[in-house]
This record gives sequence, structure tokens and C-alpha cells, in this order.
Amino acid sequence: MIQIPNTPTPELLSSAALEAAASNGATVAQFRLAKHDMRGVSLRDGDVENIGSESNVALSVRVVHSGAWGFAASTELTIESAFNTALRAIQVAKISAQVAADEVILANEPVHGKQSWTLPIEIDAFEKTDSEIIEFLQNWNHKISGSSIVSHIESNIGMGRDQTFYSDLLGNEISQQRDRISAALTAIHVSDSGFEDMRTCAPPAGRGWEYLTGTGWDWESEIARIPEYLDEKVKSPSVTPGAWDLVIDPTNLWLTIHESIGHATELDRALGYEANYAGTSFATIDKLGNFKYGSPIMNVTGDRTSDHGLSTVGYDDEGVAAQKWDLIKDGILVGYQTDRSIASKIKMDRSNGCAFADSALHSPIQRMPNVSLQPGTEDLTTKDLISNVESGIYIVGDKSWSIDMQRFNFQFTGQRFHEIKNGEIVGQLKDVAYQSKTPDFWASMRQLGGASTYLLGGALNCGKGQPGQVAPVSHGCPSATFTKINVLNTRDESAK
Amino acid sequence: MSEISLPDAVEVALELLGKDGGVVIGGNSATNNLRWANSALTTNGDSIDQTLSISAFVSMSGGVATGMSSGQIRSRDDVEALVAASKASAVSAGPAVDAMDLVAGPTDKNFADAALTLDVSEISHVAGGLAEVFAHRDQEFFGYAEQSLDTTYVGTSSGTRMRYSERTSRFELCAKSHDRKRSAWSGQGGTSLTDVSIGNHLSDVTQKLQIQNTQIDTDAGRHRVTLSPSAVSDLLIYMLWSSAARDAAEGRSAFSNVKGGTRVGETLTKRNLNLATDPNLKGIETFDRVVNLGSSALGSAFDTGIEIGRSDIITDGVLTALGSSRHAAQEAKLPFTPLTDNISLVDAQGSGSLAELASRMGDGLLITCLWYIREVDPQNLLLTGLTRDGVYVVSGGEVIGATNNFRFNESPIDMLARVIDAGTTVPCLPREWADWFSRAQVAPLTIEGFNLSTKSDAI
Repeated sequence: MIQIPNTPTPELLSSAALEAAASNGATVAQFRLAKHDMRGVSLRDGDVENIGSESNVALSVRVVHSGAWGFAASTELTIESAFNTALRAIQVAKISAQVAADEVILANEPVHGKQSWTLPIEIDAFEKTDSEIIEFLQNWNHKISGSSIVSHIESNIGMGRDQTFYSDLLGNEISQQRDRISAALTAIHVSDSGFEDMRTCAPPAGRGWEYLTGTGWDWESEIARIPEYLDEKVKSPSVTPGAWDLVIDPTNLWLTIHESIGHATELDRALGYEANYAGTSFATIDKLGNFKYGSPIMNVTGDRTSDHGLSTVGYDDEGVAAQKWDLIKDGILVGYQTDRSIASKIKMDRSNGCAFADSALHSPIQRMPNVSLQPGTEDLTTKDLISNVESGIYIVGDKSWSIDMQRFNFQFTGQRFHEIKNGEIVGQLKDVAYQSKTPDFWASMRQLGGASTYLLGGALNCGKGQPGQVAPVSHGCPSATFTKINVLNTRDESAK
Repeated sequence: MSEISLPDAVEVALELLGKDGGVVIGGNSATNNLRWANSALTTNGDSIDQTLSISAFVSMSGGVATGMSSGQIRSRDDVEALVAASKASAVSAGPAVDAMDLVAGPTDKNFADAALTLDVSEISHVAGGLAEVFAHRDQEFFGYAEQSLDTTYVGTSSGTRMRYSERTSRFELCAKSHDRKRSAWSGQGGTSLTDVSIGNHLSDVTQKLQIQNTQIDTDAGRHRVTLSPSAVSDLLIYMLWSSAARDAAEGRSAFSNVKGGTRVGETLTKRNLNLATDPNLKGIETFDRVVNLGSSALGSAFDTGIEIGRSDIITDGVLTALGSSRHAAQEAKLPFTPLTDNISLVDAQGSGSLAELASRMGDGLLITCLWYIREVDPQNLLLTGLTRDGVYVVSGGEVIGATNNFRFNESPIDMLARVIDAGTTVPCLPREWADWFSRAQVAPLTIEGFNLSTKSDAI
């Protein structure tokens, strides 16, 4: 699947690396060849600001030697480089072994042998010419550029493709390919009283070009309403801070799930492996099976198999087959995300397949699967949820986010804040941020939308690890209602 | 080995770009790193990345267009493919708004020299020192060390040939009590890990953990605080990234004047604060020429090769400049102000160490680290984030214990108006932004009414 012109085949590079590792005493050796292609176009007020493409390819070898990990990588794709990279990995492992307290042990995984997996798409976005992409974006701009409320427009389209080859001493040879696409349009209003903006809420997705033409998202309708949304926001009153009932749309709630559940249920964080950087987790292993994470209607899964998920794969980056499992069941913490070495720390029989490296230049670490809140059993619509709120705010679209280093205290804003009075939306509010503590917030979840409200949100820029790695990940969820959440007025917060 | 060296690839790409030309950047990045947690080494690595990046210029009716491509090169064929891709993108793009004539930059005699190499043994200094750290069984240690060596080749169709190398090092040590109820951090940026005294960092975190044995609960609210240099740098780096002249002139920035134009000339603080970027600042030197592949609010490919000097953003408390490309500066009717990858904050009235400054505060909170800083409202540059790894209670000029963490909501611009005291400028490692920005020399500041909006239970 992965083909690099004028270089040895992945199998030949792999053989050189794995043989060098084995013959020099490695007890575990994993070879990865990874190619990452990206294209992007950004427009500013209809003019192209940036257009370009990027293609990165490298090979890496990860070994266990003397009981410790060693990792090395190179962008040189030759037999000699593969061989030398393996030797460098062993050298690094030997240095590490001098101060490694625990021997690396990997949870067992069946050998899958020679496998190939491709994320299904309908239309290959990489086949689109630059001109076609620019024209497509300019058409979006034209839809709103005539509006008097719109002072500036920013828009962009990005696409990515990962092609990987993984092999190890056990006999696995796994080739994979997955695509993703993203787009956004932001309208900005400038006046002598300040400025406001309004952005589309479509998430990035594991899809092809079809995503931009109506499959999975109604861009036409959303873009057409952006000026109206912006105009209403500009004229809206500033929110009164205090405890509000919130109906949160999936276009906003996915990010709250990401920060307060996704990162909190990473086992490496719970065990302290991220303590210096991203932090730890309040969801420590003594809480597994007994901690009340949220209300009884809360069911959350980890999933590397979701259709169109940004974290969806066939196999992870250490050869573990993709799985789906429970993280929170009936409001109780019941699971974690793991890679093979972390899984063995708590005597799990098998990793649930969350090893990931964002390029062959980085060592795989435990990264997030698609972590999703399951819809309610009754098929309530978002309108149903709103109708059950006497006084509240319906929040749509993501914007600002921040959470503490144990995933307790968070604060989020959004694109639109629709005030609810007596079960009806009466207009927008502005200057809204909601802030809470993770277990309190999820305990306050009193109603879930049904399957018809379920949406797979997500991001391309989830950061973790040192050296820093970026991962794409999706989060599915329905609309949901939360009771008496602390709402801040951001203008009051900044008042001197 | 690749069939073509990076400097040769730059020359080939420029030749293939033809008369319209462009900018070509060859980057060789070598990195060693060690990471540890729970008093044991965890992941580690040794990587070498070679990338060629091209910004092709194409003349057309109405101006000059640009298109970019980037990737690894193993042969002349790869260079040809990148040039073709960048040209094709440029042809589609239409005239660039920021198009200007390239300057004739320097022609370095050592341009064709090979990239510098980084030996994996250089990080052994840290690996060796960690054994002593981990021997302290009364604490648990976490951290990260990284040594990188970047060699960059820049060529432009106006004759510029620049080769420069930058060493960057970073050391972070976090210590926690076994019950995980106390946590402290110590960090150091620089150019070589061999400059790191691991023993000094160990002493620092050990002392901080001891102070944390006394815990004092503090409510959220507006507090008088002393911010460490690291905390100040994290806030001001974000402010620097948001200081684009283009956005301010368009009325869509916290540096916009709502009556039109920008806030340049406005007094932001009564203190004699001086905020600058300067590639020649001793200890945090960085490359002194513009190198850009694309266009943004703060830079342009067309400026590549222009010399960068000191850019004074705030002078004696007055906003004196905003970051810009040449084109953005013209549009905003402001002086051209290229920014570089370092930051300096000096208070001409400031004196003393962080500890002395905290003592002069009398009563208040000493904040050592900030984390997860994000923009809440661009209109006033309201930022939110958390305190982390040590907030200390100062009473009567004495540190009497540690307190809980907080979420803050503050604008660094507004905050400058509430600076009531400052210490001496020192080198520091920005805790939040060190992945992207590690060259900082900043004064600790005491702020009146810092908005610690809500309490955080995190440790």
C-alpha cells in the first residue's frame, strides 16, 4: 500500500531493521514506516493566503533491550539506514537501562500476520486540483460576502492521509491507510463598538471529499445562516452570570467529553506517566469499578472502530487489533485506554489498542481512541430537551477550552448561546463561558437526546507527550441537558 | 545516504523555480530526548529529520502568486516533484496580497557545509544525573530532557544563501510526594544540556515540596500575586503572538483602537516596562534574519532574508510597535516590525530575585507555574488557564505555606496596568509554551487584583 519511489520496499527495510535488532540482543523489535500527506488551502477575504502540500516519510525502530525501551528514527529510507537505526535504538535502550526501574513487559496480543486495512472513503480529496479546491472555497465565501454584517471572511480546507507499515519480530506485517478532511468558514463583524465572529460548526471527519458536498454535514444550510447567526450575536445581550441549566449541542459537547473524559481515562495519565507535562488524572485506578463519574444515564465507550472516526484504525501502532469497550457504564468508571506496556501495569490480559505515534519520527505512546457518550434510550430530539428547560442556555459549536492537570476544573465557551425561556429559544446571549468540576458536571446530566441527535465531533490537534505529538480523534455524543452549571460572563471576568 | 545533500537540493530547487524564483528552505533537525516518570526512565528517542520546503513565486496578471510544498528528498527527482507541486499551487492561487520584492540577503561562505551532527551520548549527562535523583526515595520524580541541533539552509532567487545552526536544550524536573498531594516543578532552557545542574533543580523541587507540607486553603477571587518569570513569560508570549499590526489595523484585535487604527502610542502601564524581541540577546540568541515559507498576520515569504534587529513592543510602559510583515506594516501605516523567537521583559524600576519580590509583596500569593492557557475573548485578550505545581501563601513578607490551585481569567494587556512591583530579569523556561518557544528572559512581576476566578482541586 505504501509506496515510496526509488526506495527499497517496506518489507526489505523491515527485514534489515528487525534482523539487526534481533541479532544484537533485542527481545522486542517493532519497525514502522510511515508516510503522511497533507494539503491545505486558506482564504482571507476571498484571496488565497496560503496554499500548499506536505509529505513526510520516515522509518523507525523501537526495541526492548536490557529490559528498557529504545527508539530511533530516520528520514533516510535505505537498507543501511534501517540497519543503523536499529543499532541506534539499541544504544538508546542501553542508556535507558541504566536508570530504568521496571522491566518493560508487554500485554499479550495474538499475532495477526500479514494484514491490510483502509478507511473507506467515497471521493479521494487528494485527486482534487488546487484550482478546484480554491474555487470551492470561494463559492462558500460568495454565499455570505454580500451581507452587510460581514466585514471579513476566513475559510480553509485541509486534508490528510496516513499510510503506515508495521512489522515486528513476531511476524506481523500490517499495512494501513486512512484519510481525513476538515473545513471551516468564519465571518467577522467589525464596528466602532468592537468585533464578533461566527464560525461553522462542522467537525473534521474520517471521510473524503464527499464530506464537503453534503455527505455527513449540511454545509450549504449552515453557511447560508452564518450572517444571520452573527447579526443576532452582535445585537444580543450579555449573559447574567450564575447557575444556569444548559442544553449542550454535540457540536460543543464533544470537546467537553474530550477534555473531561477522554484524557481522564488514559491509563498512562492515571499512573503518572504524563505528570510532568499534560498532567495526571483524578480517575485513579483505585476508582476503577466503583467511582461515580456521572449520572446513571451516562454510558461512554472507547472505540477505534467508529465509522468515519478520526482515531479509527484496523490495528494500532504496536499491532493490536482495533476494539470497542466500555469506559463508563451507568455512570460508573469501568475502563481505561491502554497500550501494551501500560496494560501490563495493571495486569490487563490484553491492550485495547491505543498505541499511536504521529509520525515515524516519534515513539508510539498511549493516545486517545474515539471516546463517545452513548445516546439515550428514548429518541428525544434537541427540541424535546429544550422544551423541558424553563430557563437556560442552548450552547452550539466549540471555541475556547481549558482544563486543569487532573481533569477537574474546566471552562469552555462556544459559537452560539441561545437563551431558553419556558422551553423556547428566545434569542442569543453573548460573553458566555461555562465552568464546572468534571464529576459535578456529569452528575448533573439529567436528560440525553436520542440517536437522531448523535453526532461525531472531533479535532485534529490533540496534543500529548514529550516530545509533543499531535493526534486526530473523534467523539460522538447526543445533545444533553445539564442542571445548574456555573456560567461566567467573560466581560465581567476581564473587568479591572 | 541521500543522493543529494540539502544545500545542493536548495540550489537545484532554485534553478528549477526559474526566473520567477521563490524561497527554498532545507532543514536538518537532530533530536535526542529522555523522559522519566515515577522515578524511572520511560520513553526516549534519537531522531534525524531532513526536510526541503519550497515557496514558489509565479508572475501573473495582477502580481505574483505563491504556493508551498514540503517533504523529504532523497534524489533530484524528489526536488523536481516538490518544485512542480509548489509551482502548480502558485498558478492556482492568484496574486498574493503580500507580494513584495525579495531582498538580496547574505551569501554565507559555509552554505554548502554539511549539517552539524548530534551525538546520542550528549544526553548521557542527564541520564547519569538522574540516577542520583531517583535515589531520593522520599519523593517521586517526573520530567523530560531534550537536546536538539537544527541546521538550516535558506536560499532565495534574489541571491540569498544563508546557513545557520541552532542548539536548543530543555530540562524539566517535577517532584511529587508519594501521596501525590504535593507537587513542584523546576525547568531550564538553553543551548546545551551540559549546562544543567541537576543537583540544583533537585534542591529547588525538594525545598518547594517541604514548604508544601503546610497547606492553607484560599478562596477564589482577585488577589495580589507575584508571578514567577516562567508564569509571566507564558502570558506575554501569547500576547506577543496576538500582537499583529494587520489584525489591529483591521479592528479585530485587542490592540485595535475602537476609534480607528491601533493602540500604538498608548500607555499600557505606569511602570517602566520594556518588552522586546531581539535575536542578539545574550543567552537567548536566535537567527537574525527573516525566514518564512508562507503568509500570516506576522510574517511573509517575501520578507525572507531581511535582517531582524531588536523590536521594542513596549517601551517604558508605552505600546510602541506591533508585529508585522513589510506588507502588513505598510497597510497598517506602522514601522516594519519582524518578530523573532525570543522574548525579553525588563522593568527599569525592578530589582531583586523572585523570592525578594515575593517578600516585598507583603501579603499575597506566589504563583510559580501556569498551564493550559487559552484565549477566551480576543476583544480584550482575556486568557484562561490554571496555576500548577506550587502556589504559595506570603504573609508579612514570609512564605508561610502552600495553597490550592486556581483557574485564572486575565488579560495580559490589562494585567500590565496593575503591575505594582517587579524583580530583576532572568532566564526562564516558559512552562506552557516551551514546545514552541523556549528562549525567554523575563522579570517576575507583582500584580494587584489578579483574577483567580475559581478554585481547582488538581495537584
